Formats: sequence, structure tokens, C-alpha cells
Amino acid sequence: MTAQRFEAPAHVPRELAAWLRIWAVARRHAYVLYRSPHRLFDVTVWPIVDTVLFGSLGVYFVSQGGPNSAGQAGVAYLLSGIVLWHVVYQAQIAVSTGFMEETWSRNLLSLMVTPLRELELVAGIALFGLAKLVMGVGVVALAAFTLYAFDVTDLGLALLPVIAILLMGGWAIALFVVGLILRFGNGAEALAWGIMFVVMPLGGVFYPVEALPAFIQPISALLPTTHAFAAGRELIDGGPVPWGELALAAVGTLVAVAAALAFVAWMLRLFRRRGYVTRYS
Amino acid sequence: MSDVLRARGLLKTYRRGRAVDGVDLTVRQGERVALLGPNGAGKTTTLLMCLGVVEPDGGTVEIAGHRLPRGRSAAMAHVGFAAGYLPLPERLRVGEYLRMYGQLYGLAEPETQALRGLERFGIPHLVKAMGTELSSGQKTLVGIVKSTMHDPELLVLDEPTASLDPDVAMRVRTGLAALCQERGTALLVTSHNMVEVERIAERVVFLSAGRVVADGPPLEVAARFGRDDLEEVFLHLASERQASEHTEGLRP
Repeated sequence: MTAQRFEAPAHVPRELAAWLRIWAVARRHAYVLYRSPHRLFDVTVWPIVDTVLFGSLGVYFVSQGGPNSAGQAGVAYLLSGIVLWHVVYQAQIAVSTGFMEETWSRNLLSLMVTPLRELELVAGIALFGLAKLVMGVGVVALAAFTLYAFDVTDLGLALLPVIAILLMGGWAIALFVVGLILRFGNGAEALAWGIMFVVMPLGGVFYPVEALPAFIQPISALLPTTHAFAAGRELIDGGPVPWGELALAAVGTLVAVAAALAFVAWMLRLFRRRGYVTRYS
Repeated sequence: MSDVLRARGLLKTYRRGRAVDGVDLTVRQGERVALLGPNGAGKTTTLLMCLGVVEPDGGTVEIAGHRLPRGRSAAMAHVGFAAGYLPLPERLRVGEYLRMYGQLYGLAEPETQALRGLERFGIPHLVKAMGTELSSGQKTLVGIVKSTMHDPELLVLDEPTASLDPDVAMRVRTGLAALCQERGTALLVTSHNMVEVERIAERVVFLSAGRVVADGPPLEVAARFGRDDLEEVFLHLASERQASEHTEGLRP
């Protein structure tokens, strides 16, 4: 022990403090990825596997129907679908596993006894998640271009609102998963991955609502992703910007985000009321 | 002296029963208080309610003038917390961990404060060590550095020296005493080591079955129970608790 005197440390201006906290969380999660290379699987191997799977399916069906068959467009639908799906997937997985990392490392209690607000924690994780998303989606797009000569940028600037909507949709799903983990503990973490296997077939990633069995169609039509992916397919077909589908998707996404925020706030209240933090300490 | 922590009428009931039953707890600026009691007395629940982590069913908590839960974020800027049972996050070096918490506390120079804190507790050589490479005692020391680097008004330590050998525990006590003396930091500590409590705390609050059963200077509290020291008071309350549980178990 040294005889060093305690001195009052300097603090950043109050208006910067919240940004600094968000940055601190994002940086912490960057270290986690840097020190756990196996976590790169989600943003490198998995996107390539998906691209090869769906790209090859499309190529096979085209080869069965001849070069002028409708299946030609199907290859592009599958490849654009998988590129855009990874926006939802990476956004969702980054936030939900980022939150789970705090529970796995039993860091939640320590974080809760700092000025960090709950939304700042999520924002910090999501901020770093954006970097992972760029990696993951970049790998899919690159694989689609390299292996199947599909250039997603050919869809033009109209792709940006589609991506923005899907990004928000992924975050909404992640908030829902975080709420379930707050309520049910780590037993609910399988949902982080499992829920995506439910959303994928229902969310119109590769086909329109009409392709689904009739009794599932109303559920699919309610999901905002269905309309975002439909907009993506219209862009593939070379049509005008599908404002109608985009508007439906945007409104649906806003409702989903609001519902997810309300759900996670409710679960957080239960978490505090029932003292569930002791599960992680 | 102003109150750093003021909790009034705290109530908490879990499914297994009432955990905290009308606890009042005040810690004044610069005061060193120990919250004591046998297992199941309600110490941790009280502590977690005071820190805003668990929501009380009734009662109020105010830290440095900020009422919880609304003022939680502002209140926590004045609080440091460390617990002997909390690990350091994996995949972070000690320096990275301390910088992260320094930033969460809004420090302008978190690296400098981290290094000062490590030097203060005699472990500057650990700055580049991974959290997983540390002994449990070193983890505890790093946790205490984390909780003091932002100059808190209230330092809450849950079983801080549980895993420390006597030499390191003594260094921790000395460091904490210096902090309290020089910066006027208030200390709220829980421990099962009554000898240590007598050395650290100037006031002890004994809980039993969720209620405050004694509050005062250690020797006065011991005398009130007709005992020589806090260890005997603790054993007395623990045996009372066991007897009460046994009686409840015999009821039809």
C-alpha cells in the first residue's frame, strides 16, 4: 500500500457523460469479440454457409427449368433475401448475445450500481452490434457477388430504407428476447437463436405471403419484415420504389419497437421487484 | 453532518416470506457503518434496495439527496460498490476493466485514476493482467479500486475481505480508513468477520428476521446484549433465529 493521497478526480461535462457511458459499453463488447475469436463464427462462417445454401438452391432450380425460366428471378430473390435477412439476424443476435454476455460474466449487478441507464446499456451494445452487422452483412454480400455474381448494390439507394427497417426490426426482436431473459433467466437464452427460425419462414424473407399455407398468411402479413422483404423483391424486379410496402413496413416496425420497449420495461420492473439480479451474482 | 444514505421503512416480501420488515437505515457523511446479521437476516436485500437494484414493496431510499428509483442514475454517481463474490468480467484486462468503469462514472481521465487506484492498494503490476489470471484476493482488491476511483460519497462493500489473507485484509482496511478520513467517504459494509467489523466500523446495525434489532457503536451494542463482543452478539442472534425456525417447523 502506498501513502498516496486521495484526490478528487476530474469528470467530463454532464451532457457528455451519457455518450461516454454508451461508448464504454460498446468498447467493452469490442474487447469481448477481440478476445473470443470463436464469436466471429456468427459474422463470417454463418453468412457464407447461408449464401452457399440459398444461392446453390436457386442455381439448381434454374438448371432444372432452363435459362429462361422464372427460376432466374428466384436466384436473385433467394440471394437478396439472405443478404437482407442477415441485417435482421445480425442486429438481433448482436444485441441479445451482448446482453447475455453481461449475465454470463456476472457483470449485471456491478453495472446496475453505476450511473449507467438501461437504455444506455442497450445502446452501447447495439452500437458495437452495428460493427458486427457491417461485418456479417458485408460477408454475405461479398459471398453472393463472388460465388453467384449477385451484386446487392444493383438494387440502388432504395435499399437503404429497407435496410433501416430491417435493422429496427432486428433490434425489436432483440429487446423482446432481453425481456424474456430478464424474466426467466438464462434458461430463455435459447430463444435468441430459436426465435429467428420462427421469424424467417413467417417473415417473407424469400417469398410473398401468398406462398404460405392459408392459415399462416394473416400472421405473416402482420410482420413488418414481410413488407420490407416484399419491397426488396420489387426492387429486384426493377419496378419503381415500392412506397406502399415500405410505409407498411415502417409503421409495423415502429409499432414492434414500441411494443418491445414496453415489454422490456415491464420485465425490468418485474426483475427489480422480484430481486432476480441475485441470479447473476 | 448530512446524510449520504437515508432509507426509511423498507419492506420486502418474497414468495418464501418477509425478507425485510420496516428497516430504517441512515449513513452520515464520513461515517463507517456495518450492516450485520446471520444468514437470512435481510442484509443483502436491504443493501440491494438501498442501491436501487431491488425495488422495495414499501419505504423510501435517498442517496446524496437523490430519491430512488427516479434519481437512480444521479445517485449512483455518488456510490461505489464492490462485493467479494462478484468476479471480474472475463476477456478484459484489469486496466481495460477499470477504464470502462471510470467512463461509466464519467471520469475525464479514467486511465490515470485507474493507475492511481491500483497504486493506492499496492497492485499497479496487475494493470495488464487478464481478469481470469487473478487470485480471488486480487480480484477483490481490483473490485475495491473500481469502486473508489470516482471518489464516491458512499462506499458500499458486501463481504469485501471474505477471500483475503490477513495481510491483504489489513491493507484493505488501512486503505479504506485513509479514504474515509481524507475524502469524508461514508462506508457501509457487510461482513461475517466480527473482528474485522470492530476494526472498521464506528457503528453497527444488526438485523435479525428482517428487522433492526440493534444500532450503535460496537461495544455499546455488545453491552446491550450483555455480551463481550460482536461475535457473541452475532452467535446469540443466530441461535435465536435457529430456535425460531425450529419452533415454526414444529407448528402444525
